[in-house]
Amino acid sequence: MIASFPYLIVGLLFLFGLYAVVFERNLIKIAIGISVIEAATNMFLIVLGYRTGGRIPVFTLAGESKVLVLPTPQALTLTAIVIGMATTALMLSLIMVLYRHYGTLDVREIRRLRG
Amino acid sequence: MWPKIHSGFGYWDVVSWLVFFFIVSVFVLWFRSQGRSDYKEGTEQDDIFFCGNDVPEKGEDYAVPASGAYWGFTKALSGFYELLTAWHSGIATEYTGYLVVFTALMLSLALL
Amino acid sequence: MNWYDHLPALVLAVPLLGAFGAPVLGLSGRYARNAWFVLISACTAALALLLWQKASMNGVFVYVLGAESWKLALPSGMSLPIRIILEVDSFSALMAVIGSIASFAGTLFSLRFMERFSGLDKFVALYFLLTTGMLGMELTGDLFNFFVFLEIASVASFGLVAFWRDRPEAVEAGFKYMLISTVGALFVLLAVGLFYGRYNAVNMAAVGQMLHLGLPEKAALALLVAALAMKCGSVPMHMWTPDAYAEAPAGVTCLLVAVSQASLYGLFRVCFSIYGMSIGSSVVPWTIIVMGLLSMFIGVTMAVIQKDVKRLMAYHSVSQVGYILLGLGVGLLALKDAKAMADYGFTAIQGGIFHLMNYTMYKGLLFLVAGALAYAAKSRNLNELGGLAHAMPHTTFMFIIAAAAIAGLPPFNGFVSKLLIYESTFAVHPFLPVVAMVTSVLTLASFVKVFQTAFLGPRRSRLAEVEEVPGTMLLGMFSLTLVVLGLSLFPTWSMAHIIEPAAKALVDQAGYIRAVMGGGL
Repeated sequence: MIASFPYLIVGLLFLFGLYAVVFERNLIKIAIGISVIEAATNMFLIVLGYRTGGRIPVFTLAGESKVLVLPTPQALTLTAIVIGMATTALMLSLIMVLYRHYGTLDVREIRRLRG
Repeated sequence: MWPKIHSGFGYWDVVSWLVFFFIVSVFVLWFRSQGRSDYKEGTEQDDIFFCGNDVPEKGEDYAVPASGAYWGFTKALSGFYELLTAWHSGIATEYTGYLVVFTALMLSLALL
Repeated sequence: MNWYDHLPALVLAVPLLGAFGAPVLGLSGRYARNAWFVLISACTAALALLLWQKASMNGVFVYVLGAESWKLALPSGMSLPIRIILEVDSFSALMAVIGSIASFAGTLFSLRFMERFSGLDKFVALYFLLTTGMLGMELTGDLFNFFVFLEIASVASFGLVAFWRDRPEAVEAGFKYMLISTVGALFVLLAVGLFYGRYNAVNMAAVGQMLHLGLPEKAALALLVAALAMKCGSVPMHMWTPDAYAEAPAGVTCLLVAVSQASLYGLFRVCFSIYGMSIGSSVVPWTIIVMGLLSMFIGVTMAVIQKDVKRLMAYHSVSQVGYILLGLGVGLLALKDAKAMADYGFTAIQGGIFHLMNYTMYKGLLFLVAGALAYAAKSRNLNELGGLAHAMPHTTFMFIIAAAAIAGLPPFNGFVSKLLIYESTFAVHPFLPVVAMVTSVLTLASFVKVFQTAFLGPRRSRLAEVEEVPGTMLLGMFSLTLVVLGLSLFPTWSMAHIIEPAAKALVDQAGYIRAVMGGGL
């Protein structure tokens, strides 16, 4: 139970982010929700790599410990962080342009395309 | 290169279809050419018949608009269409909500 | 050590070079940038065709990025493959060819279509990034690499959909697409994380070999099916499709159609080559079949009432994806049972793949025709168009061919793939082809509506000076028409040489795994 504690936190954070994306009306809060989901997913990847009692995955700095944390998910997470940053930047600039056009940040008002 | 495609229950043959279409077109064009000998193009025999009225000058006045197409079909299914167009609301968070609901449904079905 | 060995990497590297070289060449002026645009696009299409030829000669082969030899998947005694591995079989090579032909047609079309607008260096760069992302999704053999290319293609397409930023609707469409697409991509990343956590590998063949169905695997399958079905526009996550496809420039929409097929490719790679026989109960195949039925029906009923011609065609996109999902869902259902596979399952898979190819070609052509109408008549609203057939005869001719193909009229290619899907799904339950046929009739109805209102009828006074679109736009549309006509007139050759090897490669999970895991020096 203690071992799956990080996974529970990650799941909770993911659900908070999803709640913000689906139920919030302000566009900026929706973008914050997306950032929270991205943070949760990145944490999930990092937590997957943990091995009990492991040291940092650098051979020369490991000392006499035999157990190292897995390095691959850390590489995957770095890639995912960069992708998330690019996506958030683009999303915020689209929100800015939307505000300039529609004059509102309410997602229920920005619906000229429907039906 | 042109044998039949067998689909397990039947087959499709392009060449025989094209040959059939060609023969029928020959017949149709021959029938069409059996017209009246006193038909002259460009005279008043060629004009649009508008129930005896004058044909309007501008095209807009007698064109059938696209919104009027299939109105019988849309009127008959108006209950269904009202539901459907209300469902496509245009609100971005509802679209994401449907994705989340569907994923939750898939997860519960797959984990059963 | 010749370039022929490095073909998979070249297919990805050439458009990427095009993307980064576009702003540099844009400094030399319009002509240099247009020449670069066409040259790189043609080069990519030629390389993809060579790749397809190599795959049809050699079967499945891999390409290891960054190793000493391009075949070195499992160096000196490793039990798991290392490095990113591109894995090409007949199905992936076919998808790459389809995607690059659609990209090339969109390139030719966009040369004149976009010339009145500024920022075209960035347009060309984003267009090539989208092409790279799509080709990467189709050629890769690694799950995390699939996610990265999915995100590359998605972010490039967000920028392209919102390209006309002074139009509020375009930015709104871009934002809606972006929101749902980002959440979907994060679901894919979650699924990749689940696979990595269980098997310590992200290579598709390695995971496929070690897979045994437990709770995390079922969850990963559910997440992947939901997210990838969203990306290709199937009900109930299809609502971004009409907005994004309508508001993007026409050449981009032609490419977006091919990109959504790349996500569909990803879905079938996961279902057939990673899970394969261990897909568990028939819940997932039946879900795919039900999604297909709903997409077909809801897509086409929404399409009949639309007034905007590109939005109408985008709803048809949703419905045609339903056909492909139906065909491949039935194939997945029959996968475990050898007799069912021989009876109707393999035909259903062939029908689905053939429909995928046909759909990308005629749908791209339809969107380009809609773009030509918008260019000539300055309007996409069908209530304002009328009588353009005499002014634009070439466009009308190509529209008739594309509309007949999508409605499934013989002798066009749409009919052949629909026939295969009807006959094979009938063996599962008679209700399935009934829905498919009703959809076909309604498709014909809506395209007759478009034809009558846009091309036939009296000429509007506002449209008195409309003339035919410029030559390069016609050339772009004509290249797709040639492919549609070729597939229509030579269906048996296409089935035997293109579709059947692709279907066999898709079903052959063992061969897919052996190409990576059985390999070495």
